[in-house]
Amino acid sequence: MSNEDLYHKVVGYVELTIFPTVVNLNRIKLNSKQCRIYRVRVNDLEAPFLYNDPTLEVCHHESKQRNLNYFSSAYTAAVSAVDPDAGHGELVIKVPSELWKQGDDLKVLKVYIEFSLDQPKGGLHFVVPDVEGSMAERGAHVFGSCDEKMKIFSCHRFWFPCVDSYSELCTWKLEFTVDASMVAVSCGDLVETIYTHDMRKKTFHYILPIPTAAPNISLAVGPFEILVDPYMHEVTHFCLPQLLPLLKHSMSFLHEIFEFYEEILTCRYPYSCFKTVFVDEAYVQVSSYASMSIFSTNLLHSAMIIDQTPQTRRCLAQALAQQFFGCFISRMSWADEWVLKGISGYIYGLYLKKTFGVNEYRHWIKQELDKIVEYELKMGGVLLHPTFSGGKEKDNPTPHLHFSIKHPHTLSWEYYKMFQCKAHLVMRLIENRISMEFMLQVFNKLLSLASTASSQKYQSHMWSQMLLSTHAFLKSISNVSGKDIGPLIKQWVDQSGVVKFFGSFAFNRKRNVLELEIRQDYTSSGTQKYVGPIKVTVQELDGSFNHMLQIEENSLKHDIPCHSKSRRNKKKKIPLMNGEEVDMDLSAMDADSPLLWIRIDPDMSILRKVEFEQADFMWQYQLRYERDVVAQEEAISALEKFPTPASRLALTDILEQEQCFYKVRMQACFCLAKIANAMVSTWQGPPAMKSLFTRMFCCKSCPNIVKTNNFINFQSYFLQKTMPVAMALLRDVQNLCPKDVLNFILDLIKYNDNRKNKFSDNYYRADLIEALTNSLTPAISINNEVRTVDNLNADVRLILEEITRFLNMEKLLPSFRNTITVSCLRAIRQLQKNGHIPSDPSLFKSYAQYGHFVDVRIAALEALVDYTRVERSSGELQWLLSMVQNDPVHYVRHKILGLLCKNPPFTKTTDSALCNEALVDQLWKFMNSGASHDWRLRCDAVNLYYMLFGLTRPSCLPLPELGLVLNLKEKKAVLNPTIKPELGVGAVMDTPASIGIHGVGMSYPDPVSLGVCGVGQPPQGLKRKADTPLGSPPEPGQILQQQDDDGRGFNTMEDEDIDMETVHDSQAFIHHHLNLLERPSTPGKHTHTHTHTHTHTHYIHVLKTLLIHGKEKLPFNRKKPAKPASGRGTHLPQLVGGEGD
Amino acid sequence: VFSVHMVGEGSVSICSIAGKATSSPAENYLLARRRTLQVVVSALLTESGFESAEKAAVETLTEMLQSYITEIGRCAKAYCEHTARSVPTLSDTVVTLIEMGFNVDTLPIYAKRSQRMVITAPPVTNAPVTPKALSAGQKRTHPAHIPSHFPEFPDPHTYIKTPTFREPVSDYQVVREKAATQRRDVERALTRFIAKTGETQSLFKDDITTFPLIAARPSTIPYLSALLPSELELQALEETDSSEQDDQTDGENTDDPGADKENSMLPPSGVVPSTKASEDNVIDNPYLRPVKKPKVRRKK
Repeated sequence: MSNEDLYHKVVGYVELTIFPTVVNLNRIKLNSKQCRIYRVRVNDLEAPFLYNDPTLEVCHHESKQRNLNYFSSAYTAAVSAVDPDAGHGELVIKVPSELWKQGDDLKVLKVYIEFSLDQPKGGLHFVVPDVEGSMAERGAHVFGSCDEKMKIFSCHRFWFPCVDSYSELCTWKLEFTVDASMVAVSCGDLVETIYTHDMRKKTFHYILPIPTAAPNISLAVGPFEILVDPYMHEVTHFCLPQLLPLLKHSMSFLHEIFEFYEEILTCRYPYSCFKTVFVDEAYVQVSSYASMSIFSTNLLHSAMIIDQTPQTRRCLAQALAQQFFGCFISRMSWADEWVLKGISGYIYGLYLKKTFGVNEYRHWIKQELDKIVEYELKMGGVLLHPTFSGGKEKDNPTPHLHFSIKHPHTLSWEYYKMFQCKAHLVMRLIENRISMEFMLQVFNKLLSLASTASSQKYQSHMWSQMLLSTHAFLKSISNVSGKDIGPLIKQWVDQSGVVKFFGSFAFNRKRNVLELEIRQDYTSSGTQKYVGPIKVTVQELDGSFNHMLQIEENSLKHDIPCHSKSRRNKKKKIPLMNGEEVDMDLSAMDADSPLLWIRIDPDMSILRKVEFEQADFMWQYQLRYERDVVAQEEAISALEKFPTPASRLALTDILEQEQCFYKVRMQACFCLAKIANAMVSTWQGPPAMKSLFTRMFCCKSCPNIVKTNNFINFQSYFLQKTMPVAMALLRDVQNLCPKDVLNFILDLIKYNDNRKNKFSDNYYRADLIEALTNSLTPAISINNEVRTVDNLNADVRLILEEITRFLNMEKLLPSFRNTITVSCLRAIRQLQKNGHIPSDPSLFKSYAQYGHFVDVRIAALEALVDYTRVERSSGELQWLLSMVQNDPVHYVRHKILGLLCKNPPFTKTTDSALCNEALVDQLWKFMNSGASHDWRLRCDAVNLYYMLFGLTRPSCLPLPELGLVLNLKEKKAVLNPTIKPELGVGAVMDTPASIGIHGVGMSYPDPVSLGVCGVGQPPQGLKRKADTPLGSPPEPGQILQQQDDDGRGFNTMEDEDIDMETVHDSQAFIHHHLNLLERPSTPGKHTHTHTHTHTHTHYIHVLKTLLIHGKEKLPFNRKKPAKPASGRGTHLPQLVGGEGD
Repeated sequence: VFSVHMVGEGSVSICSIAGKATSSPAENYLLARRRTLQVVVSALLTESGFESAEKAAVETLTEMLQSYITEIGRCAKAYCEHTARSVPTLSDTVVTLIEMGFNVDTLPIYAKRSQRMVITAPPVTNAPVTPKALSAGQKRTHPAHIPSHFPEFPDPHTYIKTPTFREPVSDYQVVREKAATQRRDVERALTRFIAKTGETQSLFKDDITTFPLIAARPSTIPYLSALLPSELELQALEETDSSEQDDQTDGENTDDPGADKENSMLPPSGVVPSTKASEDNVIDNPYLRPVKKPKVRRKK
């Protein structure tokens, strides 16, 4: 072992107190991954145990199947097999027979597990910078890298054995022994910190008296700098050394978020303290755990940074919202996840509305709506509340997806993000229905029930109030509001898909009636039919009028009577929706019609996409005079199709109007650029936006020189940043960027002067580089010559000079988050792609290395992915894939796969030399076993596989000769013996209590997976195992048992395995036995001794968890919440009492 | 041509041209003095019992004597000017000699010593005429109210303002232009220098010098340089920060009166986190509490 390795180790000890609620409890199943378990005792008796993780390798035998359908079902089966909600786990502990009697009397069982974690690949993440000095000086730290999704993915089994489910609540006592220079931050209250006897280490004692599920427990250890919040002393912030000034600034407004949530929820923050920890190489930006949140250190910023500030505040607000809903109140089952995500997302939205204003809020809602609509129309529906009847794959509610949504662990990352997005939008729909007041009352009720329950120390059955189910939520809503939201729930929650409307209208002059036609597309993927009310707002000359129309099965046309006559009163002001009265120039409108504009579903109270047809002048009126930002944005996107001088004028006016929301103005910039390009032959005057920019930002005396920067007005700052970027998209008749635009941008760069500004201009400069990038057009290539410096275009030379200088200066004076390097790398890739400079990946490779700032790495990787696609380079693809397997940063690995999916080197429909058998095998292996330590990564790999090869067998593979026939045969042959346990499970399922008795732990509902995973090719499996070098240290998934157990335990183990006869297990059985045989020569066994491990662990010395466990794990029956357990749970008074002391 | 050159060389060249034909009165004057000094040195040598001396030795001693006398003169002049006079007096000379470590009392005795040799007085040469100062412009005559016995006005160039620089450009455009160009030049020169002296990367295979990029070098803690503002920026930040902080601490004092009491009851043992001992007095936070010493293990 190298010195470095010694640091990546955890030795731990878990103590669980179990209150049996059933008789005949002779097996206990826990979740544990990659831990090496040394020893298990139950009430001081050595207990034999079995460790089997079917997700380590999803498809066991070397099948040549390679189709994704097969993989997905096998993977789902493997995850189901260890699903804690169904009472399964990787670690099966046999209760010693001496204690059976005790269990029958429902007496307390105590389980002690000693384990270690050696260089974990997932779950815990160690960051140890490679510099001289002590660990503290190096800023080394470790943290539970579980993010929001990983949390739902329950990654906690990755770092300590537990019941890795949100529905198993218990109180916690946590102890962490770490080096004296470190701080261990974990959930609950820090009771005391005590030195070890040699005074070189400290032990942190935490107590979490609020019942909490294991996935909500986390840990961060590092040489953190500590900041006590100046406004709330019970809130403590932690950051890595040297970042304290940034922490102070970034956290200076956290108390406002606290106040906001406590006020709207009329409920105090449920935990007695709150901790924020900022770590490097975070798995995701934000993750919340009971009374603590872990953030990416990259969210910290100084007071000079504008753009990062709102982002950081949003992240904090999200984290805090999840403290209430997600941590304190957690979900009853996976199917109820949407409620918690929905509520936390919804109250986060309320915070946005209060802090950033209604415009920002509505803009955000529109953005989220557009996102979910786009995703669902492209990828198929997102289902919030899936129901799985009988657990059969046939009943898959989402057959359009290439993954199963039955478990959080099998979800694609993108899908989960969209799931969250939809969840909070649906909450908003509910709010629209029952009013915000009732909505907040519901939340308050849920919270107060939960907090009453949490204080009930002796009645753990009460704790189920802290778990929220869809049913309970809906019931609470109907109790509080008295309204039936059933149809709404059925439409958006129990059903996937969005609504797609097409609208058009005609004005009937004779009847003075607006004839509106609304059609729907509910046949294409991701759509659903909508029946119900819809609001239409019509702006007429006499004012704005709302109409509620009823969308019915067969009616398409709706007649809306108009209030105004088409005759226009001269000089009369026109009243708007908000009561404002404005003068309008009405010359543009149709003389026969009183209609100014029409909006369908203006409040976004349906998850829909509307394609509405109205005349260009109506869009222009809508843009100019409608005060809702959403309407303005819709008008801007519609005007792209109307390149006329009138559109130009409307957009320019909006651009200049300072009262207008800045994001609308930014959007108008890009629309104006598009219109200008479409009108290129008739365009009059200087290039679009140039004179405007000059007027707003340049010196009066010398219009070609920009004023020295002063970003005190953020609206104009954002506009100043955006306009050059949009201008650079302008093209002249030759389809080149106009010369004076390019010179203008170069002048902006040249005269940029930030000396007197109190804000940093790094984002502005980065955008100017982006503008340069946008101005690039493909090079005229003369007979494919090699690109050299000499034949460089003169303009490109100027651009390249700027980029070179910027990139070089960044080495000497780095900008915040290296934004300028990021822009430069993008620019260089664009230069390569357009053939101005030779296409070469080596520069990007060097920037993609570990050791650069993560944003820079991602930008470089993006360029490399693009290079791989354009040049069809298998070398670069391999390079990327090896990085996916080996990079130390989880986020980067995830991101590479995400980038490859977004910009795939080839797709299932295109032919490519890259698509070959070796690549298929490589990706398959990675999904199958390579990514077993990281759910997210595995799902990313599945996504990529889907993107490249589709659901079926990849076309580049040779036809399976007889494989298919053989498989079929195998299936039949194997099916018979394995049918029995499956039936057995089915029978036992009805009486959940008996599961524990018989210990039929794993069911494989899918016959396909049964057949294929069966003992079809045992010799291969054996051979593989035998290949393992005998001297090699055991892998995390392998079993290490107490040595003195061997003689006796060996036989019992064999007996054990027989009733675990599932197909996976038969394989695992062989593995296991080989392990047992191997064990004498395994060096790993020496690490059993306690003293030895002590000398090796510098970080976390002992992780001791005492669980006061409410009940024995039971497969949770969603329909009868908590009923089987309630009443039967008993508690250990002395333990709880001791805690109180 | 030669003579002009010689004059320019000044006294340094005197030795080397000693004995040669002289051409200017100033030169003659100096040479005569020098020759006298040489005689003095020779006499002193003879007095001390030397019969002959190498030319180089005599020259060296002459040189030493000359510089000694020069130093006395320079020093005495300095003393006299220090007291706002223009002609040195005896006392100036005496002080100078004392300053130079010479015992002045021995001088009269030495002067009256018996065996001293009498040398002839140096030949009379005309003192060199100081060249007339260059006059420029017309000298002003006295105005009526100044009596004619007052000194004349100096040359006008000594008191008239004669601008020798151009008016500084205050035109905004030019200033900006200049600042921009200057910054760009500095940046380019600096980056080129770094690129020249270190590793580089290039976008072109054939030409690695036209657009040299400083090689990307991974750092051990990349987030530090990416997040922290540069030192210059940080200074400005701290200024604003400290004012904010003051407000906050004020609030703290009134905020939590109970915390103070509780904190004071804690045992003072252990290590107090060093960074903000002053703030700790009012904040009770478990992370700021001292680490406890291990208890002596009790037997159950």
